[in-house]
Amino acid sequence: MKNLLFLFIISISSYAQNDSINLLDEVKLHGNFSKKLNAGFNIQTITDSVINSTTQSLGDLLQQHANIYFKEHGNGMVKSISFRGSGASHTGVYWNSIAINSALNGQTDFNTLSANGFNQVEIRKGAGSTLFGSGAIGGAINLKDNITFIKKKQFRTNIGLASYNTQNLSFQSVISDNQFYIKVNIEGEKADNEYPFLDTEIYNENAAYKNYQIKSALAYKLNQNNQIKLFTNYSNNYRELSRTITAPSNNLYKNTDNRLLLNWSNTGFKHNANLNLAILSENYKFYLDKNIDNYSSGETDSYLLKYDFDYFLKKNQNVTIGIENRLTKGIGSSIQKKERNIFETYIRYHQKTLNKLTYNVSLRKGFSNVYEIPLIYALDARLDISTNFNLRANHSSNYKLPTFNDLYWEISGNEELLPENSISSEIGFYYQSKKLNTNIAAYQIKNNNLIQWQPVTSTLWQPNNVQSVTQKGLEFEMDYQFKIKQHQFKTFLQYSLTKAIDNSSNKQLIYVPVRKATGNLSYLYKGFNFNYNQQYTSHVFTTTTNTQYLEKFWISNIRLNKTILHNTINIGFYINNLLNKNYQIVAYRPMPNRNYKLNINIKF
Amino acid sequence: MKKLSRILWLIIVSLTFASCGDDLPIDQQETGDFTNGYFVTNEGPFGTGTGTITFINDNETIVQNAYKTVNNEDLGNIVNSMTIHNNTVFIVVNNSHKVVVASRHSMEKITIIEGDDIKNPRNLVVVGDKAYVSNWGNASVATDDFITVIDLTDNTVSSTIPVGQGPEDMLVVGSKIYVNLQGGYSQNNKVAVIDTTTDTVSSTIIVGDAPNSLVKDNDGAIWVLCGGNPTPWTGATFVETNGKLIKIVNDAVDLTLDFGLNHPKHLTINDTNLMYNLNGQVYATANTATDLSTTALNGLDGYHHAMKAHNGLLYTTNAGNFTSEGTLKISDLNDNNSEVNTITTGIIPGSIVF
Repeated sequence: MKNLLFLFIISISSYAQNDSINLLDEVKLHGNFSKKLNAGFNIQTITDSVINSTTQSLGDLLQQHANIYFKEHGNGMVKSISFRGSGASHTGVYWNSIAINSALNGQTDFNTLSANGFNQVEIRKGAGSTLFGSGAIGGAINLKDNITFIKKKQFRTNIGLASYNTQNLSFQSVISDNQFYIKVNIEGEKADNEYPFLDTEIYNENAAYKNYQIKSALAYKLNQNNQIKLFTNYSNNYRELSRTITAPSNNLYKNTDNRLLLNWSNTGFKHNANLNLAILSENYKFYLDKNIDNYSSGETDSYLLKYDFDYFLKKNQNVTIGIENRLTKGIGSSIQKKERNIFETYIRYHQKTLNKLTYNVSLRKGFSNVYEIPLIYALDARLDISTNFNLRANHSSNYKLPTFNDLYWEISGNEELLPENSISSEIGFYYQSKKLNTNIAAYQIKNNNLIQWQPVTSTLWQPNNVQSVTQKGLEFEMDYQFKIKQHQFKTFLQYSLTKAIDNSSNKQLIYVPVRKATGNLSYLYKGFNFNYNQQYTSHVFTTTTNTQYLEKFWISNIRLNKTILHNTINIGFYINNLLNKNYQIVAYRPMPNRNYKLNINIKF
Repeated sequence: MKKLSRILWLIIVSLTFASCGDDLPIDQQETGDFTNGYFVTNEGPFGTGTGTITFINDNETIVQNAYKTVNNEDLGNIVNSMTIHNNTVFIVVNNSHKVVVASRHSMEKITIIEGDDIKNPRNLVVVGDKAYVSNWGNASVATDDFITVIDLTDNTVSSTIPVGQGPEDMLVVGSKIYVNLQGGYSQNNKVAVIDTTTDTVSSTIIVGDAPNSLVKDNDGAIWVLCGGNPTPWTGATFVETNGKLIKIVNDAVDLTLDFGLNHPKHLTINDTNLMYNLNGQVYATANTATDLSTTALNGLDGYHHAMKAHNGLLYTTNAGNFTSEGTLKISDLNDNNSEVNTITTGIIPGSIVF
């Protein structure tokens, strides 16, 4: 009885404490990508151990672990994303929740963006402009540094040697205590990249690249309620643009990105406030001939202020209000010197009722000196039918603002452009058990006023809001794992069906495969890990009339890893394109033949 | 016996066919699937892929991708032009830096001319047993443009002739070649005259800015259409200039007709009418006129990607969205420009070749 009373008191007090802790936890968890705040969406998270097991681009990481289609202009070359059949500028890419898509073309090159050093990569399938702003139409990807104030010293280095004279090296250090946190990540990669084009006498000439990147995260805990964080991200890329089967190339592309983010977070018993100040700079130089110092160029600087305030009405009920102001200045050899200011504000209401239904309602409105930005809305909900089964749905309106190139490209740019808009709906269900997780989604995206560059005369091209596209699709994801004694098996299978139809011609968009699948099988035993990865991409059309297409392809990759010396060293041997398939992702730009990589990852 | 004679006949017939067909060297073939008709060259998608040849038979059956169908290989990136000479065609592939030589009748490949002396080739003309190819050289370098001289007896390069920046269209008049120096990615304003007896530039005529096409009329005068410089971009070292139609007689400018700040292109001649595309319309100015025509011709509107008059018909191409098949439209100039036919071509139809 005494014990029972004690337990009762404990649980009461812990409940009371829990309430505040829960609020704080919830506050902490409240990234805009958190599962909690995206009740009606499918969020996939790639974790630290996977991200940092080898040095790789974000594109390679996502290709291996998420069933997303990338349009890659040859190995190491420009690699753009197509989420749910949408265009390259219709996926929002975020760095600690700050949008980093290029102001010039609205896109992100997934071969120059490295995943290393981040603790989490969050993938949010589906539209989300009310939370994330312009461009988050097909999906959103967030690169995240998780900062923890615990006493820790960790150093990690990764050495990679691969085919085509590819070498990479990265070094990461994390030092933290209960008040201070610093993380530095330095990496570099270079490659000749001169692989043979299978079934021809030609090699992938003029394809060398070298890049280096420096990232850091610095944080200081002022007190229980206040933290200051400073993030930097610098990347420098030198890349020759490779030949095709039919034509040689001497092109060279150099670009640098420099990002700085200062964050102040303030958490109270009932609120969570985040102030972000950021400077994002990008610049590029394009050389028609790498041997001649004559180039075209472009650069932008963006100054960002973002403030988000969460207020908890109750434990499972909160309101978020945010403002974001982004001033972008751009100039280039073909871009007039211009400034654009965008101010946006949003409000979101989040509630979880009776532990069954969780829903979010949000609105966003933007203002710009250049164009009208429409009011947009989003609704999403999840119904937890049982502990291992839920249904979800979302419906939203979204937009993508015209880019600097669209607006201000000399002579051609069109300052009359309107934002592209889209309406997106999705339903899905999720089943989870100890061994098996299954996720199914069906969606529809209706896009209007899509900006297309079209010939006005035989020499003048101009962007206009002309295209209307409807995307419909199904996504299926399953993972299954089991253990027999010390033998562990993990598998996942992701499959997608994507129809992206141009409404004026009723044809599938070019470079959108109807079917795509990724399968993965891992076998783990005492520090030994064997991984088999299978990719399938159905044919893609290369003409808007759907008269020409690239063949479908199946690609297999294997990875063997072994940890030694008490898990401090991990040696990996990878074989990509195991079956030596001749395949193209972009027409006349063959992808690499069978190739190898030796990877050594050391922790100390 | 009857049977035997039939077999004998069969043998004789097959021998005959063999000797006048398959055994002939490709460059001596005199008939084939592509003898009766004309061609459209298609640049192909920019940046990747291959250009193609569309063949239009006289009875208007069409063969797309004619060269690849026969040879099972791609022509290369940006098929810029094609020249027919006797039994041979020369296909100039700009971005692949080569000239593909094939039979005019069967489209079978004879040889490919490439190497350091074919760099960014644009067009080809034939004088006697020599072919001349205009080359930009390195497109980033203003001073390395040249004309390649090819010995047609063995299809090899015999010499190169340096010229000013951006050699483009060429016109053969007797033993001379008039070369438009349009300027490549830059601007130029000259016509170089090449004396093919010495294979040197014998004179250079200053014309208007950006000469883009040239023809010879029945009186022997040469007409050069100059587009004029386009709207300049920031930092450009030129200003927008007037389009001009210039008449050259005895290697000197005889007459200049001025379009003001407009930019005509695609000069072609139908009998005595000089026809061109201006601001999305087609105009015809007589070669005896002293002023430009101010009335556009009915029924021929469009920003044509290529345009050519031939036997009273006007052939115009439309490249559409530049990523899918284009079209060729044929209009009857003697029947109120009425449409005769519209034919689907390859991607970016860039020239019509008779």
